[in-house]
Amino acid sequence: MNDAAARNFEYLAYGLITAWLVLVVYVLTLVSREGRIRRQMESLQRMLEDKEKH
Amino acid sequence: MREKTLYGLGALAIALLTHNIWKMLVNLPDEAFQGAIFRIIFFHVPAAFTCFTCFLVSLIAGISYLKTRDLKWDALGVSTTEVGLAFGAANLLTGMIWARIIWGIWWTWDWRLTSMLICWLLYGGYLVLRRAIEEPTERARLSAVMSILSFSVVPFVFFSIKWFRTQHPQPVLYGEGKMDSGYRAMLFGNWVPILMIAIVLVAVRMMQERRQREVDALRRSAHAF
Amino acid sequence: MLFLRQVLTITAKDLRSELRTKEALNASLAFALVILLLFSFAFDANPEMMREISGGLLWLAFAFAGALILNRSFARELVNDCLDALISSPVPGAALFLGKVLANYVLLLGIEVVCLPIFGVFYNVRWAQQPLWLALVLILATWGVCVVGTIFSALTVNLRLRELMLPMLVYPMLIPCLMAAMMLTTPLLAGQPIEGDLFAWLRLLVGFDIIFTSLAVVLIDTVLIG
Repeated sequence: MNDAAARNFEYLAYGLITAWLVLVVYVLTLVSREGRIRRQMESLQRMLEDKEKH
Repeated sequence: MREKTLYGLGALAIALLTHNIWKMLVNLPDEAFQGAIFRIIFFHVPAAFTCFTCFLVSLIAGISYLKTRDLKWDALGVSTTEVGLAFGAANLLTGMIWARIIWGIWWTWDWRLTSMLICWLLYGGYLVLRRAIEEPTERARLSAVMSILSFSVVPFVFFSIKWFRTQHPQPVLYGEGKMDSGYRAMLFGNWVPILMIAIVLVAVRMMQERRQREVDALRRSAHAF
Repeated sequence: MLFLRQVLTITAKDLRSELRTKEALNASLAFALVILLLFSFAFDANPEMMREISGGLLWLAFAFAGALILNRSFARELVNDCLDALISSPVPGAALFLGKVLANYVLLLGIEVVCLPIFGVFYNVRWAQQPLWLALVLILATWGVCVVGTIFSALTVNLRLRELMLPMLVYPMLIPCLMAAMMLTTPLLAGQPIEGDLFAWLRLLVGFDIIFTSLAVVLIDTVLIG
């Protein structure tokens, strides 16, 4: 395999990795949002329980 | 149950994509002029299709919201716009990597690149607009209007920039550019799983939007005590 | 007929209050001139260069100046809840909107007419060689800028960071309109009439104006009232 073809393959790999990396980043934002919603939910429920006790 | 279906769909999509990558590396011959790099097109073009499918659904969701005033349409609108932007970014980045090899430059102000970038900015503006509005129904209403206006300007953007300048390879699915049937089958074969992934992401994002509303409602009732 | 009178009443009201205070008009005109001045540092303003980029320079200056006028268009009505009063008045939303578009249109056209000769003097361009065609391009493109800008002015009026949001949302929307205006203005300033391929840009401008005027009129009640 000559140099140009090797470079060609290298960039193909970069391209595929980038395409998936973008989606992985988006999935990570989804995961962090999920965690935030769950934390809000829990703290609210705790707050409501506290209020009922008093 | 619903979540299991979604995860199943996602797993199936990833299995299909892995299969396709293997097939395109082993079975498909290199394109005569471009060599190995041309395989990027099997992600580049379906990502663009998926991006515009998402924006179209976002337009429909915007119109439906204004008709019904049901916040689930707003959730669909924001979910499809976000996923569309993610695939738009994938499209732009793969395109730039391809251009680096074939044209020797990362970026050129060719009409398709430029139009895609402008669409990306337009819908990015939609998300920024949403962040600036607190009240849910006002946010839904104004972003529905923004979605309708953005989609209406897309054809103008494409035509104007096309007349401005062109350097991109001919459209691959219509017009002069002919595409080998094996390549074409691969292109659509890859679009199906990519679209499936988009559907899974949109559905997950919509569930989050619904739960966020539940949290907000809970907070209001908590403070009402 | 009544509708037309309502539109003109709103236009007259906006123009009168703007011409008395001149707050947006002065700022916008000064801004346009500063930008035209700044361009002279960005490149060597020789005649060949100007022949190629004059349209782009002018329309960038007009677009920036327009944003200042459009920002004030609805924001002016926030004080003392004037916007609520206007919405609850018998004037329909579409008339209120078109009246404001017309007022912005007159102001922006005025700024353009002042800027053109100054531009001609500074950059040594004989700009009045095709006056009728140039007037047509100004009329069509400025209408597009004002229609899209005014609906976004209404859309962003209640937002925090309104002054930043408006240009950020409006400029990508205006790209087709501004691009057509630039492509037409450059040959007109060089003294060539509009012919051949250039008519496509003129059609694009007309189409842009028609589509966005009708969309904005349909959507304005949703934006203003809910």
